[in-house]
Amino acid sequence: MKPVEASLEKGKGPSGKNRYVFTLSFPLFGYVIKRIFIFIPTLFIISLLTFILIAAAPGDPAETMLNRSSGEGQASDKLATERSYRELRHKLGLDLPIFYFAFTNAAQSDTLIRIPTKNHRETLDRFIYEYGNWQQIETYYHRLKNLELTVIATKKDSTNADALIELRNTVAKMFIHHEDVVLTGLFSDLQQQIAAAPGLTEIKQHADATEAAYNAVKTEATPWKKYIPKIQWSGTHNQYHRWLFGEAKWFGEETDPTKGKGFIRGDYGISFFTKRPVKSVIWDGLWITMLISILVIIIEYIISIPLGISLAVRKGTAYDSGMTVALFITYSLPVFWIGTMAIFFLCSPDYIEIFPPFGLGDATWEDGFFYKLGDLAYHLALPLIIASYASFAYLSRQMRGSMLTVLGADYIRTARAKGLPDNKVIWKHAFRNSLLPIITIFASFFPALIGGSIILEFLFTIPGLGQITYAAVIQKDYPMILTNTMFAAILTLVGYLVSDILYAVVDPRISYSKK
Amino acid sequence: MSAADTAKKNEQGYWAFVRKQFRKKKTAVVSLYIVIFLAIIAILAPFLANEKPLVCKYQGTIYFPVFKDIAVDLGIGEFQPQFQNIDWKQLDYDMAVFPPVPYLPMNQDNNNIHSKGPFDKQVVPSMRFHHWFGTDELGRDVLAGMIHGTKIAMTVGIVSMLIASFIGILLGSLAGFYGDENFQVSRIRLWGNLLFLFFAFFYAFGARSYDITDALGKSLGDGFMQLGISVLIFVGVIAIGNLLVIPLKRISFLGKQVSVPFDLIIMRMIEVLNSIPTLFLILLIISIVRKPNLYVIMGIIGLTGWTGIARFIRAELLKVRSLEYIEAAHSLGYSNAHILFKHAIPNALSPVLISIAFGIAGAILTESTLSFLGLGPADTVTWGQLLSYARQIPQAWWLAIFPGFAIFITVTVFNLIGDGLTDAMDPRLKQ
Repeated sequence: MKPVEASLEKGKGPSGKNRYVFTLSFPLFGYVIKRIFIFIPTLFIISLLTFILIAAAPGDPAETMLNRSSGEGQASDKLATERSYRELRHKLGLDLPIFYFAFTNAAQSDTLIRIPTKNHRETLDRFIYEYGNWQQIETYYHRLKNLELTVIATKKDSTNADALIELRNTVAKMFIHHEDVVLTGLFSDLQQQIAAAPGLTEIKQHADATEAAYNAVKTEATPWKKYIPKIQWSGTHNQYHRWLFGEAKWFGEETDPTKGKGFIRGDYGISFFTKRPVKSVIWDGLWITMLISILVIIIEYIISIPLGISLAVRKGTAYDSGMTVALFITYSLPVFWIGTMAIFFLCSPDYIEIFPPFGLGDATWEDGFFYKLGDLAYHLALPLIIASYASFAYLSRQMRGSMLTVLGADYIRTARAKGLPDNKVIWKHAFRNSLLPIITIFASFFPALIGGSIILEFLFTIPGLGQITYAAVIQKDYPMILTNTMFAAILTLVGYLVSDILYAVVDPRISYSKK
Repeated sequence: MSAADTAKKNEQGYWAFVRKQFRKKKTAVVSLYIVIFLAIIAILAPFLANEKPLVCKYQGTIYFPVFKDIAVDLGIGEFQPQFQNIDWKQLDYDMAVFPPVPYLPMNQDNNNIHSKGPFDKQVVPSMRFHHWFGTDELGRDVLAGMIHGTKIAMTVGIVSMLIASFIGILLGSLAGFYGDENFQVSRIRLWGNLLFLFFAFFYAFGARSYDITDALGKSLGDGFMQLGISVLIFVGVIAIGNLLVIPLKRISFLGKQVSVPFDLIIMRMIEVLNSIPTLFLILLIISIVRKPNLYVIMGIIGLTGWTGIARFIRAELLKVRSLEYIEAAHSLGYSNAHILFKHAIPNALSPVLISIAFGIAGAILTESTLSFLGLGPADTVTWGQLLSYARQIPQAWWLAIFPGFAIFITVTVFNLIGDGLTDAMDPRLKQ
């Protein structure tokens, strides 16, 4: 298929007279547009998949970010940390429901997610599971909170200091237990500890109220509610929508700086770990990974196409069989092993020191264009060799195979019978057709390279997409992981697109336009 | 001779032919022997590398501590009180036969910490206790790690491929056999099943979530018990749904036959999975797992690795379903499901062996990559993990060479077997 098709044909003009009509069409362009539209739903599903996987992750990001210590401190401190925690959760959108709708049961509440502490939420979820009456459970929780605050706020003196410390521990335990036996025990502990010191009447009132609420939870239990399915509709005010589309206005200036623009408008959120915008980190990495991948592909194709052809032409010779075995072994060598060995023996002062073991060098473009280029080449040489050897071996084997298939075809025999010289047969008749399988492989190569960037960049400490993802996985930095996965998917789809286009350009038989 | 006998003979003929072709290829046969050798090492790992003696005579009684150890692991035995929390090597035996490698991979030899090489001076009581492959930074024996690592690698390769082939064969054959048009059900049955699938999930797993997790936390047996109950509920709800549907089918609108586009749905699933580079997907899943252990890793590799097999078997079934014998089966009045599972899949299975062989190689490679990145199973020693220690200690060449070589050999032999099978099953050879 040609990118542009032009034709001049005899046809009827508007007035009925014979006339030449010139038509210009862009079949390839139309095809590309069509493919891009097919990619959009795929990307949507991927975004959904990754987002929901990550939403199911354990741990509370806001808790990790604040690194807060719980339990100790004055009442005012406790209130302050809780407020900042709640604000952070709001800022990150964690107090929103995860998706547009949720399948839950009638016992579940939509306000549970707003409770700011992770293990409190878990305990309350257990309560709901067991008793199924959110109203009473909520009352109990609020009274328990009040009790806690009263205990913290009560002035310490020599008569009640011990009792207060014990009370505090007991109350802290009550927040994380839902088992009836344990809680009943804790309530009787509470009463004993209150009785142990004089003048704790206010605490006693709160403790009694909490106990009453707890008893109400038990007596008015509706555990059957969890067997009634419910579809909970949350509208667009949810985490996924917020992440993908953002809350900012689509047209005009957004005045509220806290409102994000969402993934599709180029706002990828804030890294939990570095607290910087993900965007600033990711673009640098993307650039490096793209550069390496493209260079690797160029190197591979430049070496393996001629090599494969030469092997196919000399089929059956010692050169062919020797190289075939060598290529098979090369292909089977695990990248991370060869990489480790290379760093081990080629970058270490203990053995031979030819290459730098890590990084991309610290030269900048300001140091001079060629200096920077040389530095980059020096640092990239070993990573490029390591990244390309395995797939180059594979590609050469494929090239050899497809060339052999083509050389066995009838039309090649015809060409030979015509008396064409070997050179011409191979380059003129066989070459283009033998490229087709190799181009198909490109579609699977590109994702493999993007995936392989994790190992390569880990080995050589190159700050690319793979290294950023690896670090994010270790640090459980979910916005970062999410964005990286999305970009890896986008790059993969672009790879598919490129291979489709190449295929269309190389193979004249393939036509994607409807005729 | 009856038709069944002929079919049987043809079947044998095919496999005999494949075996003959496979034997012709020397590399593949050697690879098969190496795999058998590795499998033996994997099975015998506790007897080859262990701190406990195989047989010992202690205070007048003969014991078999390694066997006992296995029994303890299985939960059917317990060590005698005098053997609990002791150093097996320090006991005063009357007689003891130690395994060839008298070390366990996770236990440290405090006399040989800071990675002693095979040729370095090691502090050992005798050459019998020499660390032939050296030790790592913490003084753990590398050879013991290699032997137990074989067990891990083989288990991961085979189990994750079992998971992947189960999913791949099921989905791939549904897509290939039924295509988009051939699976016809009445409207109400389709809707009813979708609805009751939701109910089944809800009652079997949603409403019982804490029962299951609590039981799993208590013990594996209790967990399986609860999971079993859930599966029963699941099946029961679906069955009730299908029964309720029957009277409604009489209504002509609801009873109208519609086709389920299996091919479309399954191919879309494969496309989505293939659009995320596998390592990114695996890392994403690992990041949300609290602590990846061996089972989790095998599950993840299996769940992400089925697309190749599915595509393979789909293509095969597209060919098979238009063959004459399938048509014959149709005209004999067999149901679609019967033809699919009894006639079509068995005939399409042999090429899947090829992708399973390559898949095992891939799974082992993925597991060792993960371990190398420090994201593998945390509770065992694996080859990739040993290799990753080499990065931290630039002098310890034995940590770089031995585990890497083991990975290389294992991956290569499985690839060679796959290669051999490809050639042996090549239909062009038959002519």
